[in-house]
Amino acid sequence: MSSGKDSFNFPFSHIYVEEKVMDEDLTKSILLRYKKSVVIPISHYKDVFNRPRQSFYHQKRSPMLILAKNTGTSVFKGAPVCQDFGYDHFYYTSCARNCIYDCEYCYLRGMYGSGNVVVFVNIEDTFAEVEELLKEHPVYLCVSFDTDLMALENITGFISRWAEFTKAHQDLTIEIRTKCFRKDLFDKIPACDRVIFAYTLSPQEIIDKFEKKTTSLSERLSAASCAMGKGFPVRLCFDPLIYVKNWNDLYTSMFSEVKNSIDIHQLKDVSVGSFRISSEYIKKIRKDFPGSSICQFPYENKGGYMQYPEKIKNEMENTLVTLLQTLISKEKIYRIENEENP
Amino acid sequence: MLFIVCALSCEAKPLISALSLRKDNFACPYDTFFSTDSSVVLTVSGMGTVLAASATTYLLTRFGFSPEKDFLINFGSCAGKEPGFHLINRITDEATGRSFYPDMLYDLSACGLPASSEKALVTVSKVVAFLKDPNVLYEMEASSIFLAASRFVPPHRMIFLKYVSDSGTDDPKKITSAMLQEGAEKQVSKILAVLEHLKTIVEDDYAIDEDLFLNTFLNLRASETMRHELRQLFRYAKAEGLDMEKLLSDLEKEGLYPVNSKREGKEVIDVIRQRLI
Repeated sequence: MSSGKDSFNFPFSHIYVEEKVMDEDLTKSILLRYKKSVVIPISHYKDVFNRPRQSFYHQKRSPMLILAKNTGTSVFKGAPVCQDFGYDHFYYTSCARNCIYDCEYCYLRGMYGSGNVVVFVNIEDTFAEVEELLKEHPVYLCVSFDTDLMALENITGFISRWAEFTKAHQDLTIEIRTKCFRKDLFDKIPACDRVIFAYTLSPQEIIDKFEKKTTSLSERLSAASCAMGKGFPVRLCFDPLIYVKNWNDLYTSMFSEVKNSIDIHQLKDVSVGSFRISSEYIKKIRKDFPGSSICQFPYENKGGYMQYPEKIKNEMENTLVTLLQTLISKEKIYRIENEENP
Repeated sequence: MLFIVCALSCEAKPLISALSLRKDNFACPYDTFFSTDSSVVLTVSGMGTVLAASATTYLLTRFGFSPEKDFLINFGSCAGKEPGFHLINRITDEATGRSFYPDMLYDLSACGLPASSEKALVTVSKVVAFLKDPNVLYEMEASSIFLAASRFVPPHRMIFLKYVSDSGTDDPKKITSAMLQEGAEKQVSKILAVLEHLKTIVEDDYAIDEDLFLNTFLNLRASETMRHELRQLFRYAKAEGLDMEKLLSDLEKEGLYPVNSKREGKEVIDVIRQRLI
């Protein structure tokens, strides 16, 4: 979108560190890993993350890393547009904000003013919060929300920490949603039937066009297959389904690849949902990304959420569900159905 | 356009000369200079935060700063431990304790400003007698320039460049104009390289054809709500690389466009949508 393409610094060339976490072990290990980066001390992460008039688009080209302490609540009730997969007590948490991938349809572009990545190094405080909730009821927790935690595992080690924590807490089930290709981790963390790895899948053409910096479809499928082989429950998320003129061909062909790469009968479940986003978010995204056809698509506003016209939405979702039902029972297919997004 | 703010004319002179800038003879509250191709405009604010903030606002508003195309550069002298030319990554206002962070998106190492040249800076109200912290630089304008500019300028389009002229003195008279000018002259080649580099950073234009849009809006007898819908369709067509002019021409050949009523206009907007997606 801009010339001067070699002008950008390398990703994480600058690491902003809250003074209060400068001596934390995780901070030290991250800084050790990025020896060539410039370290800039800050008093609060919002001084950098919440600056006015930042360019999410440009920051995504060369994201900076911010290491901080999360001082407020870090575990939240799930939003109605998110699938709860039948769990009564559905929560999500964010040990990081933003991710290293650059998906054109990502709601984070509308939610945050910055494309930089924040890592909260005090994960122990989040564990304590979850333990409080567990005293009241079982908890289903999405831990890779507002980020792709798996893609950050090399620098944070949070997936391993969450897996160990979950294994030790019988009433806790976690979902780790990812587009990451990593397989080595499944040998390093303890197998647990309450640690669900959820892979977001898209046809390769959609990945190439709209999911920049992410791994290929075949790499994701290979990782998902490996996770199942090591005893982890795996969920496949055909969500968001992205409309393009030849969507039917692309998604049908993707389904064949999925079928050939994975033992679908072994899956915990699958989710299906076409792209949808808060109307407030899309306003900001359209301004920031004028050249993105996904952002500029003439969506329909249904109860404050922008979605594809009903005909397109239903056709896409029904097609995927029909294909899936040839191999997996209806009960294992979750589809978004709620008041805001019927 | 590159917008440059210097505090003192002795700091600006070598740059004005190297860029062959001409003085703006319009009744300016601040000495202002511009290049004949209008790619650079420079103002001399005077010393201190109030003048710097005021001059920055004047410059940005008078010459119409574009957040998608333009850069703001603050170039000037500072106190520091060793001589050198620095890119600033943190600016702290000593009076308020607030810190500001220009986005460090661009790699300026090819312009003689590698990552190792980066420094934090403190904006103070008077010339420092000594360096409280030898690892940072001290000067008298940057925080107010950042604060004033942040109303107009995205943080990745603000560049602060400082050269060390002294290491603090209890007698400000010891810092002479000649000394500051000489210091600026030594950095001219680097700052010219930075300016040339920034000129190459141009964003693609995704603006829609406003004339065609207005014409279509009138021909469809559209209401305000329909105007929003139509604009979004124009934006989508632009992003998707679809030829809106041809689509409208096809509709005209089919006798669907222009229309005679708002109701017909609404129907045609639906047709446009269907054909685009």
